[in-house]
Amino acid sequence: METPDMDPLDGKRILVVEDEAVIAAMIEDMLEDLGAVVVGPVNTVARGLALAGDAAIDAAVLDVNLRGERVDPVARLLARRGVPVVIASGYGESGEFEHDGAVLTKPFTLADLGRVLESALRDAGDQSGGRLVTQT
Amino acid sequence: MPTKATRRAPITPPRPLGLAPRKPDEVAALYELTDRLYRAETPSDVYSAALDAIENALSCDRASILLFDEAGVMRFVAWRGLSDAYRAAVDGHSPWKRGERPPQPIFVSDIAATDESDEIKRAILSEDIVGLAFIPLVARGGVVGKFMTYYDHAHAFTAREIELAVTIARQVGFSLERTQADQARAAAEEALRDSEERFRLMLENAPAMIWMSDTEGGCLHLNRRLREFWGVPDNGIDGASAFDWTRTIHPDDAPDLLARMGDALARRAPTQVRARYRNARGDYRVLVTDAEPRFGETGEFLGVIGVNTDVTEREEAERALRESEERFRLAVEAAPSGMVISDEEGTITLVNEQAERLFGYERHELVGASIELLVPAPSRAAHADMREGQGGERRKRIMGADRVVTARRKDGTEFPAEIGLSPILSATGRLWLAAVVDISERRRADAQRDLLLAELNHRVKNTLAVVQGIAHQTFKGGGATPAARAAFEGRLHALALAHSMLTRTNWSHAPLTQVAGDALGTAAVARHRIAISGPTLLLAPKAALGVTMALHELLTNAIKYGALSNDQGTIELKWELVEGSPARFRLEWRERGGPPVTPPARRGFGSRLITRILADDLDGDVQLGFEPDGVSCTMTAPVARLAEA
Repeated sequence: METPDMDPLDGKRILVVEDEAVIAAMIEDMLEDLGAVVVGPVNTVARGLALAGDAAIDAAVLDVNLRGERVDPVARLLARRGVPVVIASGYGESGEFEHDGAVLTKPFTLADLGRVLESALRDAGDQSGGRLVTQT
Repeated sequence: MPTKATRRAPITPPRPLGLAPRKPDEVAALYELTDRLYRAETPSDVYSAALDAIENALSCDRASILLFDEAGVMRFVAWRGLSDAYRAAVDGHSPWKRGERPPQPIFVSDIAATDESDEIKRAILSEDIVGLAFIPLVARGGVVGKFMTYYDHAHAFTAREIELAVTIARQVGFSLERTQADQARAAAEEALRDSEERFRLMLENAPAMIWMSDTEGGCLHLNRRLREFWGVPDNGIDGASAFDWTRTIHPDDAPDLLARMGDALARRAPTQVRARYRNARGDYRVLVTDAEPRFGETGEFLGVIGVNTDVTEREEAERALRESEERFRLAVEAAPSGMVISDEEGTITLVNEQAERLFGYERHELVGASIELLVPAPSRAAHADMREGQGGERRKRIMGADRVVTARRKDGTEFPAEIGLSPILSATGRLWLAAVVDISERRRADAQRDLLLAELNHRVKNTLAVVQGIAHQTFKGGGATPAARAAFEGRLHALALAHSMLTRTNWSHAPLTQVAGDALGTAAVARHRIAISGPTLLLAPKAALGVTMALHELLTNAIKYGALSNDQGTIELKWELVEGSPARFRLEWRERGGPPVTPPARRGFGSRLITRILADDLDGDVQLGFEPDGVSCTMTAPVARLAEA
């Protein structure tokens, strides 16, 4: 059993890729309210890739469409690193995006963001925990 | 039978040849016999005349006449002075066989002196007969019977008596021959008349129009049906011959018909002709005539006998059928879809131009081919099975729902097709009419529309998110409480949720169960404390948005102050349909187990929103209750309003 964490997002580094400035600012604000550290926000796929490659990141919140470009390469790169990804999309569940992880339908509340991110981090933690067990 | 008019007159007696002059009484007897036989009309006239002559000429008081019957047995036909017992005893006894020639008369002067059986002798003697004679009656050269004379004493027959007896027998034989021939002829004539009468009646009353013409084509006889047709009076041949049938022929048909009939008469050959004739009511009817030449007994040409058949209705029905078929064909041809008609064996019987274009085949390549030609190879077996399954069902089947299948063109390419399948019951069995529409274009359009709708939804949501972001920034600087910010975000979120759900249903109707589930689903932690129940009810987009917003307000209030603000409270949301005119819908929100409720001092935005939305948008009647044991909200609205777009 894990020790219950009262504030599981405290100090977590969250990458934000979002090209709509007002929304990016809001997410940034919400994450800070949740105690997380924002990486970015960046507003293009290229900048997202630059950070996703080597920055210290615990999780990411990605918009699907960035000035007409799809965010898929960033998501794939993060997935390879084992970083949990939350997709924030106006398309919702019926969207075109193929994604195994968590989805947030825009607009979302502070509570929605917190719940989905916590859940994504917990799932990722379970998986790495499993790996550790098999290695022992 | 000879009639009175033909009765023969008495004649003078012929002078017998080669004989010595007879005694006057013998001559008188022979004369009388000849005269009576000449006048005889029936066999019994002949018999009584013969018996009289025998008795007078041969001086006996007992005599009889016997003839062979049909079975060849000699039977008494007339007698004098014989007992029944005697006749019974000697019945059938004959010295000759029927037709024997030349039979010789037998004269017995004393029966006791003959070789006859004792039985016969006893019978004869017991009748007190001693002498007797058997005189054969001859007709057409053969013996047909005999006459007998009987004496109660031995009687030696003189040459004269023998001569007289033979003479009488010859006369009687001739006479029998003649009366028998007369009778036979009369019977034959009567039989012929009966037969002719039957035939005439049959012809007259036959349920067909029968006629007879002379060699020039003039009417000799029309039967009843034909007289009725033309309105000719029922006075037989005279009436018919005065009637000129050619005047009833339709003027357009007359030249051809008369030429054909004239030709048939000239060639004395059978013919069949068709023409329109005016009947007694003035209507033209189409008659088909079959005519045969008539010939007399000696082979002479007498004219023609014919039968007319009224084919007006039949031709009309045939024409109507042809027209109906033609209309059907034109309708099929004009149909905007590809039309393919196939029979129960799956053989294509008719296609239209659209079908040719759709499948890339020429018409002649399709008609006669199997319907499976138009089905992609992998589906052919299944198609044939399904088709045979349908053929097995004899009852009529309306295929309401159109089916989307893949169809194959001649070049092997395939296209999605919508096929409306209808059975047609025809005279030759069941046919299937398939109306085929290529829906490739429609599919592309549908995909395009779905894409646009998804994009629109995305943008609306994004815009809502932007609005949320702006509000976020604004409230942050303006000192709004976190509660106010949460309320705003919650309302915006509810709006986005409803929007999302309507996108999923392509902005058509959404079921209330789903609307309520989505609106209350945000309270994930409290899901087991919220009970939702009610019949299926579809909401139009506007009603779905309104109900979502209202439920969101109620839920938010419950989380903050009501049943969901502690650990035990529950919420029941139920709705039902209320019969009536108009039918209404009643929705009830009921909180229980929360902290004691105190009515709000002033009406908040939440309750205002609920009342406005439900009352104004849905034409509903809303009751918000703040009872101490829990908040309640009851709304009734016409069902029709909910489904209005």
